[in-house]
Order: sequence, then C-alpha cells, then structure tokens
Amino acid sequence: MASEDIIHNQTEIQEPTTSWYRLKERLAPYPFIAPFFIGFLVFQLLPIAFSIYLSFAEWNGMGAIEFLGLKNFSDMIQDAKFWNALRVTFYITAFCTIVGTAGATLLAVLLEKVEDWLASILRVFFFLPSVTSVVVIGYIWKQLYSSDYGFFNTLLIGLGLPPQQWLTDPKLALPALLVMLIWAGLGWDSLIITAGLRSIPDELYDAGKVDGTNGWTEFWYITLPLLQPTLLFVLVTGVIFLWGIFAQPSVLTGGGPLRHTQTIAMYLYDVGFRYHKFGYASAIAMILSVIMFISSYLNFRFVRSEAEY
Amino acid sequence: MNRRRKILGYGMGGFLFLFAMLYLFPYVWMTSMSFKPDGEIFSGRVFPEHPTLEQYQRLFYGYQFKDVTLTLPYATYYKNTIIVTVTSMVLVLFFDTMAAYGFAKFNFRGKKILFWTMIGTMLLPVYSTLIPSFWLFSVLNWINTYRALILPGVVDAYGIFLLKQYMETIPNELLDAAKVDGAGAFQRFWKIVVPLSRPAIATLAIFRFLFIWNDYLWPLVIIRDDTMYTLTLGIANMQLRQGMIVWGSQMAASVLATLPVLILVLVMQKQFLRGLTAGAFKA
Repeated sequence: MASEDIIHNQTEIQEPTTSWYRLKERLAPYPFIAPFFIGFLVFQLLPIAFSIYLSFAEWNGMGAIEFLGLKNFSDMIQDAKFWNALRVTFYITAFCTIVGTAGATLLAVLLEKVEDWLASILRVFFFLPSVTSVVVIGYIWKQLYSSDYGFFNTLLIGLGLPPQQWLTDPKLALPALLVMLIWAGLGWDSLIITAGLRSIPDELYDAGKVDGTNGWTEFWYITLPLLQPTLLFVLVTGVIFLWGIFAQPSVLTGGGPLRHTQTIAMYLYDVGFRYHKFGYASAIAMILSVIMFISSYLNFRFVRSEAEY
Repeated sequence: MNRRRKILGYGMGGFLFLFAMLYLFPYVWMTSMSFKPDGEIFSGRVFPEHPTLEQYQRLFYGYQFKDVTLTLPYATYYKNTIIVTVTSMVLVLFFDTMAAYGFAKFNFRGKKILFWTMIGTMLLPVYSTLIPSFWLFSVLNWINTYRALILPGVVDAYGIFLLKQYMETIPNELLDAAKVDGAGAFQRFWKIVVPLSRPAIATLAIFRFLFIWNDYLWPLVIIRDDTMYTLTLGIANMQLRQGMIVWGSQMAASVLATLPVLILVLVMQKQFLRGLTAGAFKA
C-alpha cells in the first residue's frame, strides 16, 4: 500500500502539467479516429443520404433527377419480376440457413469426436471454399453441372440414367444453386460452431453422464441449449449474407432459366446498371436493406425467446 | 468404455475423411481440368490422360485460334489484384489500428456517440451504398481507377471493433509510464500499442486480404476497362471476351487465383482459425 502511494506520487510529480500539455492530451484522440469518420462521411453517409433521396425519384445517371414521390414503391408492388426475385431470395435464405446450419452443427459435433490432429486437417479442408473466390466456385460448379460433359451427367450416364439439364431446367436450376451454396458455406459455419462447442464447460457433460445421458440426449439437453448464442450468430450473419446474395447465382446461372434463380440483389443490379433506372434500383436497395434489418431482428427475438423457454 | 470410444473415434475419423475427400472433389476437378488439353475437356474423365501446361501458357502468351492469336491480359489482372490488395490492406490496417487506439485508450467528449455510430455502420448492407457510390465515383471521374477499387474498402468498422477489443487488454500502466517519459500520443501508439497488438493486426490482415482478393461486386460496378480488371472480374469475363468457351484456361486462371489464398491459409492456419473464432464471439 505504502509503496504504491510512492509510485503514484512520483507519477504526479513527473508528468508535465502545463495547460498546453493538457490541451494536447485532450485533443489527442481525435486525429486517430478522424480518418474513419471522414471515410464514413464520404463513402457511406453521403451515398446513403443520396440513395434515400433517389429512391423517391428517377434518374438515368446523367440527366436531371426527377422527383416522383412514392411512385417507385407503388411500381414495385405491381412488378412481377421484383416479387419473383423476392420469392427466389426468400427460398434461398430459408433453405440455406436451416439446412446449412443443421449440417454445419452436425459436422462440428462429429469433428469433436475425432482425434485432434486429424480433425484440424479436416477443418482446413472443409474451410477451403470459404476462402476461395465466389467467382471461382461458381465456374467450377458450372462445369460440374454442364449438360455436355459435366461430372454429374457423366456420373448419371455411367449409372445408366438419363443426363439432366441441371442449369437450364426450371425445376433443377434452383436446387442446383442451393447444393452449391450449402457446399460453400459448410466449413465456415461449422468452424464458428466448433468454437461455440469448445466454450461449453466439460463439467456439464460429466454431470450429464452421472445422470445417464447417451449421445443423443447429451446433444439435445446439454449441447444444443448452450449452443444457442453461437447458432444465433450463425443464423443472423447467414440471413444477412443470403438476402444479399449476388455473385454465386450470377456466375452459375445468370439468374436463368427465365429468372428462376434471380435474386433481389441481381435484379437491383440489372435495374441500375443494365437499364440505368437508378431511382428504381435505389428503391429496391432500400427495401432490401429493410428486409435485412427485420430478418436479423426477428432472428434475435425468436432465438432469444426459445433460449428463455 | 474408453476403448469403445476410441474405436468409435477412429471410425468417425475414417468416415469424415472420406466425406472430406468427396467434399474437395470440385477442387480436384478444377485442377485436373486446368491440365487437360482442349481435346480432353469434353471427355468426361476426371483425370487428364495427357496432362499439359498449355492452358496455363495461354493465360500469359495468348490463345492460338487458327491464324489469329487472341491475347488475354491475365498478367495484368494479377498485377491489378496485387496492387489493390496490398495498398488496401496497408491503408485499412493503419486507419483501423489508429481508430481502435483512439477508442480503446482515450476518454473524450462524444466518444459514446461516435463509437455507436461506428458500430452502426457495420449493419449497413453494401447495397444501400452501391448506386450512389457509383454516382460519386463517376462525378469524381474515378471509374476505372485503383483509387475507386481501394478507397471505399478502407472504411472498416468491423476491423476497428476487433482491434479495439484486443487493445483494451493492453495495461494502461504501460502507457502511463511512457507518458511520464515524455512520449506523445502518437509515440505511445507506434512504439507500444502497435507492437503489442500484432496478433490481432495479423488476423485482421488475413481477413482483409481474403475479402479484397476475392471481391467481385464492387469491381464489377466500378471497372469497365479490361486492363483494370481484377482476377475475379477477369475470370468471370473470360468466356465473353474470347467469344468461345475456354473452360480449360478458365480453370487454369482459377487455380492461379486460388493458390496465393491457399498458401496464406495453410501457412497462417493456426493464427487464422484462432482469430476467426475469437472475432466471431466478440461480434
């Protein structure tokens, strides 16, 4: 206690206390955070303000901006292509979050049962698609699905089955896309879930064993409830990512056949950068942003109430 | 009991290993297609019968089609991607560490509001700024420039948050001692905080590398001229450009685009996975 006091006193004596020094120290943090906020103003706040304005107007990118009020939004209600894109994106989001998260949980749980050295190698394998460019992934799968010589059709022919038009058959294109998306997301999700599993204290499993748990009851009554926060994180980030999905379907199918795989983000891109209707595209962007907010909010509510129960 | 579990573990290991081999099949396909001569592309076989480097040579020396040589500026795509990735990484790491230091080690007027504003930017979907950013860059006449590819990515709240969490674990006594020795705010930052934050900075560097190296949407919007293409954009446009299907070269291009990332992940595996899971939890 006494020695601490001495050190403390020394500090006070030695630190300069002129008013100039104090002012300098008080202003010191601002230059450090300034670059971020300048960037934020120029590259985010300004564009968003303009985007909100544009969503109530029409503009071809060069001429005058014509204010239209709510016309873009009322047009959207009548726009079958918009509703189609909304439906496609909803299917993708719902399927991939549910099936993807379940699959990733299963993989993570099974990987925990394997010897450490093997598990760490396998984790890297499963993680590879998460660090590969989505464009590269899209083109590999496009080849696998190719109707002329693709791997899947070669396999089917080898088994004596008729080859399929994976990417141009309206019934098959969306499922083909979903398979690719599940494949691509599995490693990432299961890695985060692995981290969640590691944070569950061993004592709980030991206590469970005393009460006679088997593999299944252990998973259902101990692992799953304690994994809730992690699963919530995976779900929320997954939902946001999937609502905005763009590159994967545009490379694999280009949105075809007949817009069966066209997502909202792809439609937004088309409207804005192909047809130069920037006002309408901004309105779609607003709706997309609102959907992303609402669905992550619902996820929070839903999973949290489950946890309380 | 113990022995039974061990056997079960080996069984599970074997099963998951087989599953992983199946899972990696698309990569096997990519690699083997890149070594196939044109005649074998449609053969349907998994492995090439007469492996060749032809597809790789084409990326750099052009595509011989009858009397015409079509060249592909693949080396330029590579150069562009490296320039953009490296510059962007250096800038973003510098600005992120600065802002994180400001938030972690100072108390100042308006800190709370500014901090939550920054956190709020993490929730902004990229689509809400896509069109007006395009407009902004057209007005500035920055379409087809490195600046346009680099600058928007420098605003990175996620990185600031990650680093701030880490920097808060650096003891304040260390900084106070430096203060007594007459070190100014920047000196304390540069000589103490940055060296001690190295693990977190490294994790963030890998994140940013992966993100920028693989980004597709922003380059697609902002780059029109094919000499300014990045790798992802170049690969995506190979078929259009050649006016014919160039599956083999496209896969060779994909292999070369994936290789640096693969090496990075393998070399920094431990650090990367640890940083990733830690980051996930704090978010």
